[in-house]
Amino acid sequence: MSPFTSMLESLTRQRGVRASLIVSENDGLIVDSNLRFGQDGDRIAALAASMYRKARLSAGAARLGAVSFLQLDAERGRICAVGGRSDLVIVVVADPAANVGLIRVELFRALESLE
Amino acid sequence: MADDIRRWSDELARDPSSLVFLQLGESLRRQGQVDIALKIALRGLERHPRNAEAHDLVARIAVDRLDFSRALEEWETVLRLVPDHVGAMKGLGYVHFHQGRFDHAEAYLSQAAAGGAGSDVSNALQTVRRTTGIAPTWTGDRNPLDPQRIFADLLLDDGQTALLLDGSGYVLGGLYLDSMGDDVSQDIGAQLSGISDEVERSMRHLDIGSWRSIIFETHAAVVAMAPAADESLVVVAASRSTPLGLLRRLLDRCAERAGGWLDGGRRP
Repeated sequence: MSPFTSMLESLTRQRGVRASLIVSENDGLIVDSNLRFGQDGDRIAALAASMYRKARLSAGAARLGAVSFLQLDAERGRICAVGGRSDLVIVVVADPAANVGLIRVELFRALESLE
Repeated sequence: MADDIRRWSDELARDPSSLVFLQLGESLRRQGQVDIALKIALRGLERHPRNAEAHDLVARIAVDRLDFSRALEEWETVLRLVPDHVGAMKGLGYVHFHQGRFDHAEAYLSQAAAGGAGSDVSNALQTVRRTTGIAPTWTGDRNPLDPQRIFADLLLDDGQTALLLDGSGYVLGGLYLDSMGDDVSQDIGAQLSGISDEVERSMRHLDIGSWRSIIFETHAAVVAMAPAADESLVVVAASRSTPLGLLRRLLDRCAERAGGWLDGGRRP
């Protein structure tokens, strides 16, 4: 049990959520995760961290302020991520039909408890 | 900087009528904390309604929030209070340019240049003069003269902007001006370079199909991007108040426009 276990379990219980992870934005490594058997957590972590970093740097270049939420939509799934003041990013992988609004709320709630 | 902010906050708490809110609001704005900066600036403005710098600060924060109507009002107020305020002229030039009123933009930027503004205003003036005279709407011409204007007629709202980047992050079309009126298109392209390729490669291993879009929210805006023809990337930004559904439609239309433009206008 890590300090993040219950938070990740709670996220993964959301309807349509397949996996949840806490990732370091700096190095793209998993801090903790709640994955199904066979899911490639390392690749999800690396991709989410890289996207979040690129979003943060481009927002900085455009003077748009800090990035708070990121969402990637693909044909058969989506990846959502939130980050705060630390370099930790909370990531979920969800079905295309999952309720993103609800996932977003839960991610921000999780972020509050992380900070 | 953090020490300064703490010191100014303490000073303002001790003396709410202090003009230190101008420095505090500007520092918070520069740090991207635009909502707090706006609160500080508006409180200051309540106490100092005839202070031109307070109106100027609110205008700059409004631009960061992509609220161009408010910025316009505030800078017009500044010029009523201080007719030769160079910052307000520059700001009005930027807002009018962003809204496609190039004659107004040129007039304000010329006044600012005559008033002793720096090289950034001269560069902005050159950009406006280059753009002036080019038809502002898409006419079906498959090879428009100015790539910076390829999305101009699709952008409905003052705060919307769109860019077309190639696979290496170089700007192919569109334009992104920041809140100071500087063209930051290349900087954004550099930061986003390779994202399309990286996402594409990861998608193959994650079993969730091809990617369609990436959207991220910041304090001031929502940014969306999607793959387009020839491994290019369309990036669209809009104010936080823009509904996501509308942003997606705009992204689709810009991607379609980019495809047509690359197909007809730029391919050999």
